[in-house]
Amino acid sequence: CTDFSNHSPLLKIATMPSYKLYYFDVRGRGELIRYVFLAAGKEFDDIRFTSEVWKEHKPKAPYGQAPFLEIDGKPLAQSNTIARYLAREFGLAGKDSWEQAKIDELLDLSEDMFKEVGKPIFEKDEEKKKELLKNLTDVVYPKFVQLFEKSLTANGGKFFVGNELTLGDLAVYCAFDTPLKSSPNLMDDCPNLKAQRSMVEGLPKLAAYLKTRKDSHI
Amino acid sequence: MMPCYKFYYFDARGRGELCRYALHAKQRDFEDIRLGGDKWQNFKPSTPFGQMPVLDVDGKKLAQSGAIARYLARELDLAGKNCWEQAACDQYMELADDMFTELVKSFFEKDEAKKAEVMKNLNDVVLPKFLALFESSLNRNGGCYFVGDGLTIADLAVYSAFDTPLKRCPTLLDSFPKLKAQRAKIEGLPKLGEYIKNRKPTDI
Repeated sequence: CTDFSNHSPLLKIATMPSYKLYYFDVRGRGELIRYVFLAAGKEFDDIRFTSEVWKEHKPKAPYGQAPFLEIDGKPLAQSNTIARYLAREFGLAGKDSWEQAKIDELLDLSEDMFKEVGKPIFEKDEEKKKELLKNLTDVVYPKFVQLFEKSLTANGGKFFVGNELTLGDLAVYCAFDTPLKSSPNLMDDCPNLKAQRSMVEGLPKLAAYLKTRKDSHI
Repeated sequence: MMPCYKFYYFDARGRGELCRYALHAKQRDFEDIRLGGDKWQNFKPSTPFGQMPVLDVDGKKLAQSGAIARYLARELDLAGKNCWEQAACDQYMELADDMFTELVKSFFEKDEAKKAEVMKNLNDVVLPKFLALFESSLNRNGGCYFVGDGLTIADLAVYSAFDTPLKRCPTLLDSFPKLKAQRAKIEGLPKLGEYIKNRKPTDI
């Protein structure tokens, strides 16, 4: 991507794109994108709306869904696409193609877990809902914490990919936001994962955001 | 020195076929290793996350079908010309995956009544929505390719997503001329066309 680091500060400001993120007022599929902006220290318009107001914005969305991001007015859809694009723009996408692929692995694995987390939330049948919740705590969460702990440990224990913060770290952090609400001791046997979480929470702009963020169940 | 690629997956299309398409489309040599039963169980512990597909690149392993497809796209020049085109490709890959996820629901549902409901939703709501969406996307980009002016992983991803629906309903694309033409174009590519023609049919 274009490197403006040799240009004068004025030109840099003039050429920095304007970002507008459109999503509901929950974490859901928008939070990872917000994390990327905050971790990278980049300004953006965090536009949040209710379902009623969504109807006004929907025609602007490329495929009728949120989140979508406007970059100098050009729209981009699909939450992980947006996260990946911003990661590349902001230097959070690893040092080379292989590291980018390792980050994608984590994003996709986080997505697998996210899909499981969503199942009981959208299940209407009470019996089935109970079953799915039990499956989450007994099977799904233990399986994924072990996979992530193993992956983190294999890379030295601090960062998931390479030796600095990447989208991979933010994606895993984000994936456990909802699970930790219902199962706060989920990571007790995963010291590296637990420490990585504290590390992400300690990032300056992210820490301030997390402290004042309104609670949402998903 | 070109790296040595070994691609491990089941003997089906499923979540592996897109990666195979990328390699064939660029006529890139690779070992197309298909595992099942005991052979898969023996291989499983050496995979990053206990799943397939896995791409072995000179001994280094990569998991997750999307990650592999994106990596191959970058390596094989199927990822668009710049950062924005790469994002556009990602968009189509995610949309194709959304459609694939709905398909998988219909395939694995065991309860007969629920299955009938899921199939009806697939045929009446899901497929029409995605058909219209992909057709209009192609039109907006000039009608030939999904992104830019050449073949990308986006074209292959959408092609792959319609493999199973078209088995069930061969006339599915009849009212979608651009999609139909794009499909024919992909089938006309030298190595990829041969592979598709001679491939053993599988349900998914």
